[in-house]
Amino acid sequence: MEIPPALLQFVGSLAAIVALAALAWWLKLGAPRRIESEADARREASEAADGYEPVEIALDRAGRAALLRDRAGQILLLRQHGTHFAGRVLTPAARARIDSGALLVDTAEKRYGQVRLELEDPSAWLAHIESIETR
Amino acid sequence: MPDFDPVAYAVPGFVLLVLAEMLWARRKRPHAYEPRDTLTSLAFGLGSTVAGVVFGGAILAAALWLYDYRLFDFGESWWAVWWAWPLAFVLDDLLYYVFHRMAHRVRWFWASHVNHHSSQHYNLSTALRQTWTGFFALSFAFGLPLVLLGFHPAMLAIVSGFNLIYQFWIHTEAIGRMPRWFEAVMNTPSHHRVHHATNPRYLDRNYAGVFIVWDRIFGTFEQERPEEETIRYGIVKQLGSFNLLWAVFHEWVGIAQDVWRAPWKHKLSYLLREPGWSHDGSRETSATIRARWEARRESATGKPVADENPIAGSGEPA
Repeated sequence: MEIPPALLQFVGSLAAIVALAALAWWLKLGAPRRIESEADARREASEAADGYEPVEIALDRAGRAALLRDRAGQILLLRQHGTHFAGRVLTPAARARIDSGALLVDTAEKRYGQVRLELEDPSAWLAHIESIETR
Repeated sequence: MPDFDPVAYAVPGFVLLVLAEMLWARRKRPHAYEPRDTLTSLAFGLGSTVAGVVFGGAILAAALWLYDYRLFDFGESWWAVWWAWPLAFVLDDLLYYVFHRMAHRVRWFWASHVNHHSSQHYNLSTALRQTWTGFFALSFAFGLPLVLLGFHPAMLAIVSGFNLIYQFWIHTEAIGRMPRWFEAVMNTPSHHRVHHATNPRYLDRNYAGVFIVWDRIFGTFEQERPEEETIRYGIVKQLGSFNLLWAVFHEWVGIAQDVWRAPWKHKLSYLLREPGWSHDGSRETSATIRARWEARRESATGKPVADENPIAGSGEPA
């Protein structure tokens, strides 16, 4: 059976793509970054939402996520995305609950996913998030 | 008609340069690459070639039909008219500027072009993050005026292939600035980093493909200022996902949802207005983000941004 050249080219390209991605992994490129301090969280927050100035910050113990609140009560959720962070200002559609001492936050955006945060005071942040619903 | 695709010949070079940049990243900047991001970008590139095969025939047929109505005729041996080649290259690059500017200013076009901007990384693999849906966004229509002018579609395909190849190497952080004369005329890594940035001062700037002079002429040029702020890349609302299909179609899904929910009189605006526009003003466009940044900066420094940037205070934001 003769393989069509276009199919051969496609399969070859696919193999090259997987090889390059595997090489990036083998070279240990792109290790995840952590939010280790409030300064880190502020910097990431200003990148996620221009001009956002938090007055309260809570860091996940493993540095994978953070919750921030500004003077107007807007809550910004940051979570790890590869070597970067992706943030969302929570809307009234956001949901939160406490599970085994950790705060689970669902932005209601399916592709952003649910975020688990190990915080000092999860119940205070649960209240903050629930207050968005009633504001 | 010459049957030559310069991009096909350039692909091995692309692969080798990505390899070289990965080795550079290992030594100098390990965060410049992320394996899942790289996989997504390269899969975008492969998918776009498939889309090119699927839709390329229809586009070529339409262009050949239009060619019969051309204003000027280079003759049967059009490929032998040497001066037509550089002329076609320059005019094609000018139309690329127009297309690219529209791709950032009209949401229908942006839905396709956003694919190229959806990585938070800026490396050579990002260059290959090409759209799958350009056909639906009617990207090809921007090249048709040159066909009507008299340039053969095959000639235009070849020069736009070289244009695409040129744009590959400028997607890197490994090169700082090129010599001054080169930065003045050509698009460079420095200029194109600005284009991929989400920092408010850089939003919707530097649309050039090969010649940065178009941005200088049409008032959309912005200089990179690494001494003042670190560039961050991607889109204003980062995807936060490596899912390939979501990365490809997310803006189209967003358009469909917005059009479905919008009042009748606003439906069309969700297709034709700038990305971020909403009928109730609840979202942000690049213009509102920039305006807020300018106001903040003015209150901090006491002088308008326009004093520092000759284009910031004039006309419609790009």
